[in-house]
Amino acid sequence: MQLKNLDFLIEKCKSAPRMTVAVACPQGDDILEAVVDAEREGIVTPVLVGNRRKTQLIADSLGLDLSRLAFLDETDDALAAEKAVRMVSSGEAQLLMKGNVKTAILLKAVLNKEWGLRSGSLLSHLFLFQVPRMPGVLGMSDGGMAMYPDLPTKAGIVENAVAAYHRIGVACPKIAVLAAVEVVNPDMQATLDAAALTQMNRRGQIRGCIIDGPLALDNAVSPEAARIKGIDSPVAGDADMLLVPNIEAGNFVGKVMMYMSGGKGAGVILGARKPIVLTSRFDNAETKLLSIAFGAVLAMS
Amino acid sequence: MEQLRTLTALVDYAKKIGAEKGPRKVAIALAEDPGVLEAIEVARKEGFAFGILVGNGDKIKEAADKAGVDLSNYEVIDERRGEAQVGMTAVQLVSSGKADIFMKGMIHTNNFLRALLNKEVGLRTGKTISHCYFHEVKGYDRIFFISDAAFNMYPDLKTKADILSNTVGLARSFGVECPKAAVLAAVEVVNPDMPATLDAAAITQMQRRGQIKNCLVDGPFALDNAVSEESAKHKGIVSEVAGKADILLVPNIDAGNMMVKALVYFSENKTAGLILGASAPVVLTSRSDTIEAKTLSIAAAVALSVYKG
Repeated sequence: MQLKNLDFLIEKCKSAPRMTVAVACPQGDDILEAVVDAEREGIVTPVLVGNRRKTQLIADSLGLDLSRLAFLDETDDALAAEKAVRMVSSGEAQLLMKGNVKTAILLKAVLNKEWGLRSGSLLSHLFLFQVPRMPGVLGMSDGGMAMYPDLPTKAGIVENAVAAYHRIGVACPKIAVLAAVEVVNPDMQATLDAAALTQMNRRGQIRGCIIDGPLALDNAVSPEAARIKGIDSPVAGDADMLLVPNIEAGNFVGKVMMYMSGGKGAGVILGARKPIVLTSRFDNAETKLLSIAFGAVLAMS
Repeated sequence: MEQLRTLTALVDYAKKIGAEKGPRKVAIALAEDPGVLEAIEVARKEGFAFGILVGNGDKIKEAADKAGVDLSNYEVIDERRGEAQVGMTAVQLVSSGKADIFMKGMIHTNNFLRALLNKEVGLRTGKTISHCYFHEVKGYDRIFFISDAAFNMYPDLKTKADILSNTVGLARSFGVECPKAAVLAAVEVVNPDMPATLDAAAITQMQRRGQIKNCLVDGPFALDNAVSEESAKHKGIVSEVAGKADILLVPNIDAGNMMVKALVYFSENKTAGLILGASAPVVLTSRSDTIEAKTLSIAAAVALSVYKG
């Protein structure tokens, strides 16, 4: 694990010129708290795009001061999403954050062909975890944008993640392609895709990283487990990122880390022209702050 | 043992085995074929094979006269109950340990294979049966093993892995201690639309995880970068197998057959083949094979017959 902890995201934001984040539909208490927190900590400069009246009511009930934040009043969610996206595509803001708006509505705006943030890459979610028992930061992708990715989609997910790792200073991330077992089993598609991705990497079809798979989670993260299984691989036991085969597996792994292992993390949607911060209601405050910082660091040119 | 790099070295090795352990016994099903008799006669004179000829005794005599072979140097088992029974009688010699190698004579391939695969007297082991061509090609310093260009038509991944394991055994019996196997496709990159490239990647990882042993596998490769280091370098392929392959695993019978025939007809080469995966070496030559090719197949069977794994 090449990243030792996530604090560098906060430090980088504090030491660099502040990025501006367009928050689509900030009228939710968890969102608003996170955004105000991020502004106060000096992480980003938020511009709130949404229902001003509702937002102010929430701010009043939570005792939050919005006086320092720019606001663009728009009561219709789809239009608010559009305006927030346009702010980013025009360069007024450098990253987008999803507020209290349906993901489908926001993504529709993001993917708009005229004024959206399409880059030609697929969209994928990368989550960086920091768990007390682990010696460093472990990434996981895709966190649910592609539910049942096929091989080309998995390759796209890896490429997005690799670009993000390069931006946060990891020049050659080690990527473990996870399956239930570390051997190739013709009856388990995840193991076949893992083998294909490994060879794609070795043939230079996916660059800037070292891929190995299939690996089971234990031998991806534990050198001891890898050694016992006799796996000779530069990735085994030392993975920076886990590529999960489908949404269920990713969801379970993520939740074990966040809820059952005392973890914190930072999650961002990759593949658009600018990063998109997407937090869950249930993320703790630190995770929300780290997610915003992660997006901001990725947005820095 | 030293790695056999030419088929002349293979014959020398077979002779050495014959000298040290006595000639290997070859049970020939329907030995009424002058070509097969000529080949076994060469192997006998070189001291590495002893033929047990099964079939109609009169017809065997006729064929032997035509080939100029003296039958007093052979054991003849007169079996006139039809081809199917000839196959069973011959294979039983091998499964019962009276012979070391099972060889096809004039018998129809179907009857030969039926005997080979017979559950009671055949040579089944539960493993996949596969075919391997081995080639000495001018300009190359090693023998190429090509599988499977004859027996398994459109193998799936699991079957390909079995074919590879069989072929690794043959290569090792030729003294190639850790053969380098290239899994061939039309391109050297993984293409989700080309199943051969996906299988190649899977087999590569199977070897790296220890699911296929005693060899070094890489794939997908196009043929050029499997056999030419120059071409591999040009493509920027970093691989211990690239340009150095001993084994070429072909994706299907069509590609394999055309490749083998191109080698046979276009290159300066010596070529022979063997059936692998049975409990004993199996020689299945075609009537169009030269006497030399048939003799080389017998020599390979002799080498394999003493291979302990």
